[in-house]
Amino acid sequence: MNKWFKSGSPWIWLSAGGVSISLISVLGLLWLIASRGLSYFWPSELYQFNLTDEAGAKQVVIGEIYDREHIPVSQLAHLNLTLPEGQETLERLLIKTGNRELVSLDFRWILSTNITQTTKPETLAVVERRTNGNFYGFIDHIVLDGVEVAQDRLPELVERVEQFQAEIDSLQKSDIGAINYQLERLRLKARKHQLQGELTPELQQSIDDEVAKLESDYRTLEKELMVFRDKIARDQLVMRAMDGQLVTINFENILKVSFNNQLGVFEKTKIFFSQIGAFIVDDPREANTEGGVFPAIFGTVLMVLLMTVIVSPFGVIAAIYLHEYAGKNSLTKLLRIAVINLAGVPSIVYGVFGLGFFVYMVGGSLDQIFYPETLPSPTFGTPGVLWSAITLAILTLPVVIVSTEEGLSRIPSAMRHGSLALGATKAETLWRIILPIASPAIMTGIILAIARAAGEVAPLMLVGVVKMAPNLPLDGNFPFLHLERKFMHLGFHIYDVGFQSPNVEAARPLVYATALLLVSIIVALNMTAVTIRNRLREKYKMLEH
Amino acid sequence: MISVTPTALSDSPNKLDLNNLSPEQVALNINNLNLHYGNKQALQNISMAIPKGQVTAFIGPSGCGKSTLLRCINRMNDLVDNCKITGEINLHGTNIYDKHVDVAELRRKVGMVFQRPNPFPKTIYENVIYGLRIMGENNRRVLDDAVEKSLRSAALWNEVKDRLHESALGLSGGQQQRLVIARAIAIQPEVLLLDEPTSALDPISTLTIEELINDLKKEFTVVIVTHNMQQAARVSDQTAFMYMGDLIEYSDTNTLFTTPMKKKTEDYITGRYG
Repeated sequence: MNKWFKSGSPWIWLSAGGVSISLISVLGLLWLIASRGLSYFWPSELYQFNLTDEAGAKQVVIGEIYDREHIPVSQLAHLNLTLPEGQETLERLLIKTGNRELVSLDFRWILSTNITQTTKPETLAVVERRTNGNFYGFIDHIVLDGVEVAQDRLPELVERVEQFQAEIDSLQKSDIGAINYQLERLRLKARKHQLQGELTPELQQSIDDEVAKLESDYRTLEKELMVFRDKIARDQLVMRAMDGQLVTINFENILKVSFNNQLGVFEKTKIFFSQIGAFIVDDPREANTEGGVFPAIFGTVLMVLLMTVIVSPFGVIAAIYLHEYAGKNSLTKLLRIAVINLAGVPSIVYGVFGLGFFVYMVGGSLDQIFYPETLPSPTFGTPGVLWSAITLAILTLPVVIVSTEEGLSRIPSAMRHGSLALGATKAETLWRIILPIASPAIMTGIILAIARAAGEVAPLMLVGVVKMAPNLPLDGNFPFLHLERKFMHLGFHIYDVGFQSPNVEAARPLVYATALLLVSIIVALNMTAVTIRNRLREKYKMLEH
Repeated sequence: MISVTPTALSDSPNKLDLNNLSPEQVALNINNLNLHYGNKQALQNISMAIPKGQVTAFIGPSGCGKSTLLRCINRMNDLVDNCKITGEINLHGTNIYDKHVDVAELRRKVGMVFQRPNPFPKTIYENVIYGLRIMGENNRRVLDDAVEKSLRSAALWNEVKDRLHESALGLSGGQQQRLVIARAIAIQPEVLLLDEPTSALDPISTLTIEELINDLKKEFTVVIVTHNMQQAARVSDQTAFMYMGDLIEYSDTNTLFTTPMKKKTEDYITGRYG
């Protein structure tokens, strides 16, 4: 035993155990969010349950099985159930029944003892809608322009509406959006000249002319839009709900109709992937509880990239000064300690600082100087993606400084001396020799900064993230990148959907799916940085020994 | 007495009178040079003239100040904290420790090769032209010519001409040291300082470098620090023996190794200490 201790094996086991625990927790976490998140996209079976409750009343429930749980019988004492002796728990099922216009809740619990019959009728359909969530039921008939038609024309009609809807979206978003943007610019231009006292009648006239032209363009587009609107409002789908009621759904409201019980594994897989794709590229609907998360993905990535662009030069420059130029005295030591401590400040403090300093002071001053025409409505003096990036840049600055400094101090002095002896100045040596060799260490700092910044949510809530941003920070209107705009963020999206949404039960899988996406994006960003670093390391590898 | 190969000795044809050199024969003039690291004096009142176009060797036991003296010549000691220097080193009649001397400019005139090969993590080509690039030379043809000429002078051209654009870190130790020499001579210095250039190399690479030094003195004034007396005897025309920060004896190599004037020198070269 003593010998075993001396051999060092216990320590090897201990450290291996530590690694295993970390590995298992990471994999477990990923497995949990992946399985829960991905199941959201798999088309589930649709069931019809015939129920007979304790009083003997019969009822039909249609929907997807969402969850199962066992509850102690004692909780159900008030129902006076007749149960076999000795049974202590009862199974109950959570059914997603949709049909929000008929019942206020999309979900209901049913006790498995009440189920007299479970079937999976092939003609049972689920209709995905733009508003009011899913509808579960049987298709009764289809009305095309007032006339009842055969049910097999359903796919064709859904596709037709989808095409018109795409046209409407592009009209609204790009064409009408651009006109609104230009109108706003013209209004600001007039206001600016007015403030400067230079608004001559001719100028006013030319602006008015442009406005008139844009407005006439707008009316043309509006007419086009109305035509499309009329077209998609033509047809109706009449569905029979679980209690036999007939419900008319207008086709303009329909996204997709599917008969999940008729689908084979192959078709389900196809739907699974197309749903994942839609989740990634679509805009959110219904207070973020339905639809995709594209604006949040875009906002997260843009903000992190901006943050990287801001933090890298500052961190590297600060580290170079501290390591190469600052005197080796107690002030430098103090500075270094301050930098390291900066990493320990809670992130919400940075948020408050960012809001007070960047948004209100810097942004407010910028508005006074450069955008007086828009006041009192702020341009930069309000939370936005630029301020978020800068706030997170400050938050991650210590990480970059510390790892860059470490990289600088690892460089053998022979490299410096070699360069200096060839007549290079210190600055030339830094630029041509030291920085390239230190680049893997700088990349390590940037990787850590990205990892930290992409996961931060708290400070962003104060300096730029919103639940629903009407426009992306990047669009087709000059100057294309609108850094003053607010943006959506996956981290905040998780919080919002999971904990602030009116329909928490429905949003649960969405939370997992969004979490999975956020993790994948952070991993992707990190892998990119790691690949770059490994390339650089390969290049300078021989120096390590 | 140490045995010195006759061929090496016959390589120093015209003996110079080191105490009475004419100004055009002198590359460097060191006058009353003192150097302190903090409170410790590392060089004491060194005065010597280093002749042009010849190989001068500094020998002596470890810690005698021979490397320190060498580093004074291109002011590499400026990088050491707490280093205080008094006295003069004259290059073309200018004291290199004058306030208005541009150190980078000086180091272009006085090149240096270190103990361990220190090629930059760049291609062979980029290593050689590093000094020229610093001087602002960007003409491709000039650079190409300089690379070939320097590598030929450093006896490395034939080995690397097909892989000029591969990393210099892939070369062997001896090749790396010759590359570093090529890098130093690419900017055409007047004086080349070699700080124990073979101490990290195997015997065969050492031999190559020694042969190279013999060729280099045709173009440059070479000052070499070595702890290897045979090497000093083989490659140098003049030898200076240093001990505890003092310059004990300085004369032509043949004389120093065969008939040393000072007892300390004799003890050292016969191996009594060191």
